[in-house]
Amino acid sequence: MDASLQAPGARSARGRGRVDPRLAGTAQTSLRIGGMYCAACADVIERALLREPGVVEARVSAAAQVAMVRWDPERIQAGQLADAIRRAGYDASPDTAASARAARKSEARTALWRLFVAVFCAMQIMMLAAPAYFTDPGELAPEYKKLLDWGSWFLTLPVLCFCAAPFFARAWRSLRQRAIGMDVPVSLGIAAAFVASTGAAFEPGGVFGNEVYFDSLTMFISFLLGGRFLEMRARHQAESALDDATSGLPQRVMRVAADGTVQPIALAELRVGDRVQVPYGEAFPADGVILEGSTSADESLLTGESRPLAKRPGDAVIAGSLNLAAPVSMHVERVGADTRYEAIAALTRAARTLRPAVLASADRWAGPFLWSVLLLAAIAGVAWSFIDPTRTVWVVVSVLIVTCPCALSLAGPSALLAAAGAMSRRGLVLRDLDAIAALTRVQTLFIDKTGTLTRSAPMCAGVQGLASDDPDIALELGRRASSLAAWSHHPLSTAIQTAFEGDGAVWSDLQELPGLGVAANDLDRCPWRLGAPTWAAPGWPGGGPDTQVILARNGVALAAFRFDEHLRDDAEAAVASLQADGVQVRLLSGDDPLRAERVGALLGLDSARGGLAPEDKLAAVRAAQERGEFVAMVGDGVNDAPVLAQADVSFAMGDGAQVARTQADGVLVSNRLADLVRARALARKTLRVVRQNLAWAALYNASCVPLALLGLLPPWAAGLGMATSSLFVVSNSLRLAR
Amino acid sequence: MDILYLLIPFSVLLVLALLAVFAWALNSGQFDDLQREGERILADDGPALDRHQAP
Repeated sequence: MDASLQAPGARSARGRGRVDPRLAGTAQTSLRIGGMYCAACADVIERALLREPGVVEARVSAAAQVAMVRWDPERIQAGQLADAIRRAGYDASPDTAASARAARKSEARTALWRLFVAVFCAMQIMMLAAPAYFTDPGELAPEYKKLLDWGSWFLTLPVLCFCAAPFFARAWRSLRQRAIGMDVPVSLGIAAAFVASTGAAFEPGGVFGNEVYFDSLTMFISFLLGGRFLEMRARHQAESALDDATSGLPQRVMRVAADGTVQPIALAELRVGDRVQVPYGEAFPADGVILEGSTSADESLLTGESRPLAKRPGDAVIAGSLNLAAPVSMHVERVGADTRYEAIAALTRAARTLRPAVLASADRWAGPFLWSVLLLAAIAGVAWSFIDPTRTVWVVVSVLIVTCPCALSLAGPSALLAAAGAMSRRGLVLRDLDAIAALTRVQTLFIDKTGTLTRSAPMCAGVQGLASDDPDIALELGRRASSLAAWSHHPLSTAIQTAFEGDGAVWSDLQELPGLGVAANDLDRCPWRLGAPTWAAPGWPGGGPDTQVILARNGVALAAFRFDEHLRDDAEAAVASLQADGVQVRLLSGDDPLRAERVGALLGLDSARGGLAPEDKLAAVRAAQERGEFVAMVGDGVNDAPVLAQADVSFAMGDGAQVARTQADGVLVSNRLADLVRARALARKTLRVVRQNLAWAALYNASCVPLALLGLLPPWAAGLGMATSSLFVVSNSLRLAR
Repeated sequence: MDILYLLIPFSVLLVLALLAVFAWALNSGQFDDLQREGERILADDGPALDRHQAP
């Protein structure tokens, strides 16, 4: 029985103030449903739940793929709820993102409620205001006008006190922090219009004249709320997509013990090397390899690959992808924070909170902009009180409302966020939004070979004993090397591990030297080294460019390993299109110079250098930067980490080492270099959209503020203009998200 | 035209009543999942017809 299901965070069913006797003493649980493909599935699940004794209420949301169940703890246990759903043919797991979803739901409801009240009241007020517009002066008897104005005033109250309350609250908050925000002029405009209209309605011909602006005021508030409602919807969609991507791991894992029995364990108990069964329809709990069974997997949330991928024994699967076809068993290779899934989730969480430089600069001059708006409004008020006192309020309100710094400050960030979202769906997760602008300026791309241009998993083609030709001895040495290689994550170590079964040797004083190899002592304190020939056995003359790794004891070479490496399928096309795009592609490899040059010649790279230590790679990048080039770096290994940090913009491969991923500005989770080319095209388009947005916002303010100052723009048109200008900017940016 | 003194306050109260109806619909979750409500008619076995509806 699931611990997290037993403790559902049971909230008492008592709502605010009212207690439904049927619901007293019930608990409420939210379950995430797997395997739903259409809205009709929701009914099936609801009925399955309601058949269980003790279930008081069950509601399934098809859009969110979540079941909300109210149940009686005395008659049923939470685990049985999940079982009922499973019997109906779906999967259920505790909903870890429930609180975030509940918060979004209540925010959406409140926003819709505010919007409805504002729009509905504004329509009614427009009806009450209509006689004043359609009659000639003097035709409408003063007592009827007074009656209509009072009606309008009464209907304005809920709009002002309830719908506009968030504007006042935010304005008050920013004033208390001695800052000035968008909501300050808006609140001032609303308050001024209301006070003046109230005065005119209750004391016609007094200080505030005869004109009432209730219709303009409520319409302005409605437009503004409508704009914010659409913005909120877009934000919620993005957030729930993120929740879907980051709550995909199953909570229970079926581990196969050594004797073949299957026992359920919690995800946190899963260890590297375990063998687990993955049922059909469930997510793979860890990164690993398929052992038995063939299936297809949906990796779209993680790599952007939309087609289901066929998976046969020996194929790699990634945590969080879905098993679509048949139950399989898998060997666990990476768990928890080491999985690609967790890395992506962490990056996405980080990217959501960061503030790119563009946003910071927009905020910097929003303040002066707003102060000048207030100043202009004051000047206009004074000027119009001399020109035409009856229109003073009207003009001041228009000026306050029409200015739209939010279009200016949304121009950059909305486009960058939309583009980052689109990129992450297509295989490039950005850690730093500034990378988008940097991507378009790249002149030189330094690229690593092993794991980046070539597939990260080279295959060990064979082992050769150097002391004798006996294949049994060579195999023995291969197994010894495998047990040493088990301590390293280098692709070549992994290949040796895959090719040979470890002999279980015990090592001490383990050390991994980036770019060289692994060193350790055996039980007799005799030093072994597995790695580059020149380092493992400095005096050894043999080998050649094809010998990459040898096993040496005490400096004496014992066995040499041969590897085959495959270029990534799209490497050639990606390099060609980068070069056609005006980027110099240069290879920097820690591998043998001859091999590096061979790959360089094969792909037509601008230069290829091999045999480089991490310091040499760093020096090469610095040299290029000193020549004034804008440098990008793509790498995957531990030895690339310092270079990734040095380059102006850097990307790590998704299946690369974690330290490389944390140093890079972005991660190519798809492991497809071609995605970099596509991202570059998208980045260019993004900058174009940012420029369009800024131009539009500047043009809008430059044309509307003078119109308002001249008294040519009534307040309702000002409100409409402001909402439209923000919406234009946001929807222009959302074009990038497609 | 004195009827206006009755009709205008009455229309204002009617607005408030309609708002209350909408509030009830909103809080009972009718706007939370619009997609599914639209497809409900396609569900295979809804509640059975009662005697008055059956032909």
